Amino acid sequence: MSTQIDLEEMTKIEGHATLRLRVDNGTVEHLEIRSLEGSRYFEGILRGRLYNEAAEIATRICGICSVAHCLAAHQAIENALGIVPSPQTREIRRLLHLGEYIRSHAAHLYFLALPDYLGVPSTLSIALEQRGAVEKAILLMKLGNDIVRLLAGRDIHPVSVTVGGHLKIPTEEQLAAIRERLEQLRPAAVGTAELFNSLSYPDLHVKLERFSLYSDSEYALISGSIRSDEHEFEQNDYGRFVSEYHSPEHTANFVVREGHSYMVGALSRLANSMERLSPEVAALMRAGPFYHGLDNPFLINPAQAVELVQNFDDALAILEKLRPEPEAPPEIWVQAGHGIAAVEAPRGVLWHEYELDDAGKILHANIITPTAQNLRAMEDSLAALLPEVVDQGRDAVVATAEKLIRAYDPCFSCAVHFLRVEWL
Amino acid sequence: MSEKQLIEVGKKLRVGFYGITGCAGCLESVIFNEDEIVGLFNLVDVQAFPFIKGANSNVNLDVAFMEGLVASPRDQEMLQEVRKNARVLVALGACANSGCIPAYRHYTPLENYEHLVKEKEDDIKDVLPSPIDAHVTVDFAIPGCPPNGKEILEVVKAVVAGKAPRSYAAPVCIECRRKGNYCLLELGKPCLGAITRGGCGAVCPSGGFECWGCRGQTEDANLPALIELLEQKGFSWDFIKQRIRTFVGLKTPDLEPLRRELEVEKV
Repeated sequence: MSTQIDLEEMTKIEGHATLRLRVDNGTVEHLEIRSLEGSRYFEGILRGRLYNEAAEIATRICGICSVAHCLAAHQAIENALGIVPSPQTREIRRLLHLGEYIRSHAAHLYFLALPDYLGVPSTLSIALEQRGAVEKAILLMKLGNDIVRLLAGRDIHPVSVTVGGHLKIPTEEQLAAIRERLEQLRPAAVGTAELFNSLSYPDLHVKLERFSLYSDSEYALISGSIRSDEHEFEQNDYGRFVSEYHSPEHTANFVVREGHSYMVGALSRLANSMERLSPEVAALMRAGPFYHGLDNPFLINPAQAVELVQNFDDALAILEKLRPEPEAPPEIWVQAGHGIAAVEAPRGVLWHEYELDDAGKILHANIITPTAQNLRAMEDSLAALLPEVVDQGRDAVVATAEKLIRAYDPCFSCAVHFLRVEWL
Repeated sequence: MSEKQLIEVGKKLRVGFYGITGCAGCLESVIFNEDEIVGLFNLVDVQAFPFIKGANSNVNLDVAFMEGLVASPRDQEMLQEVRKNARVLVALGACANSGCIPAYRHYTPLENYEHLVKEKEDDIKDVLPSPIDAHVTVDFAIPGCPPNGKEILEVVKAVVAGKAPRSYAAPVCIECRRKGNYCLLELGKPCLGAITRGGCGAVCPSGGFECWGCRGQTEDANLPALIELLEQKGFSWDFIKQRIRTFVGLKTPDLEPLRRELEVEKV
């Protein structure tokens, strides 16, 4: 008996996607995640625009990770022009980025992922019964947003980051207010980690190489080398490690390494940067479900929750030292160049690459998003999981598949890019 | 919005929040009303909000908010479906209203993006990027990339109260001056605040960044005057055209004749 399941459009994910599945006599014969976003051709639109216009255009790829796109675009352009931002600029950017982490993790964990574990369609529609969880989620999200609003000028699509510097330096009073709120809400972040540590996750083991940024000096989110258990390489070498392919069913591209899927995101970061965690975060990780093995993609959710506490601790450590001074952005010496930068978006490594001519115009742009990299991993994870549930009927298959895809925190707006299929 | 489309007062409105091709930033702007979002879910009956909720229904909506632009046959189909089922359709944000940056493809030479074009199944094939009012009747527009979250709530509250929502007519400069900002145009930045519809609280200039015009032009926008000023400040005609068209190209008058008029005046 053959059953074809075409999932209605998935809910509680960013962007539009569906799952296509064919089951023959209890075996999964065909499985494919289809992105349904229309193509927007950002890399084409960026050509011919000036170096200092890249971020304002590229942020529109994604409202959810707009800070990550903004930082990756600026850093790639700075690398192309040979500009190194001041230490103060770097700390402001790190703090801004942590604001996006806090709001993104809070929103994804409570509004998108938690309903799967509570067995309800939406956290907000059960606001009365789950008042505690909803209030916590909203307070965390608001704190993250307020950090972004203060440092980026607005909550979505930042404007205060500029090539080589920062346009709006926060005052000490503004930073002190943020610090106070981080201290007040830290217990809510710890509570989030404890809640997600206590949930019961399906048992699944998939062999996936876990890549993330890595640094010896900090929990790496905006710079560093790229590392997994088996490999480490410099950002500039990324073209040698990843290749992309396209299939007509998708508007999104698939990214693989030597033909194999790999995973990016919170679980990869925790696994690779375990030694960079603050002591309490390390203890939360030890208390979590991770001892079953880090090869279970469902554990991305508790990994995000544990990482949320690390984000608080990193933000507090930055604020401990940051005493902002007025500082004008540097004069820019426009020249031809080529720059690559990787930034950890909340859902994984994001790559921006630009080639500039001698007038500072963009000749070539290439952007690889975390979801494009995770698409194959998502399919491979589903292929490992679905045989277990396939005889429980359509509803169980759909619910399990959605729960797994959602755990990856995919962003299908981001994933829709038509890049070169082969990378030389 | 005409009176006949307004909703009967006292009834809990059935509302849907939808997105077609876009970045989800406008839908996020709804949620980022942190202090009011739970209240919003109590004030109206949120029938559909697939971004954050399962079990969505699309039938018999009083108001539907639509984010995104039309970039595929699937977008067209979804938009028609929502339009058919909603008494009032609100175009939410720059993509829905003008096609935003994805519609800049109209001004991008094919050679810049043809290497990105791939074969696709029918439902996700490319159609020319276009705002939603090129396909269906739109009852109200909320501009901005993304819109101000408070503005979205104002629209919901106005409709709940049985009133037509108000749109902001004055340029960004009015709000910018009120905030006491330095004029970025005077500082030599290519700021489009003078021709751009306000209501955003001059959020970008207040963050130190020039206005790119994402909310569209005011009805009385004097484009020739701004173009002349920007040229005097040393910006090239190509740059000025690119800037003005980035967010609202499809809703901007043809720029070439405007420039020719300027040249005639100079002669």
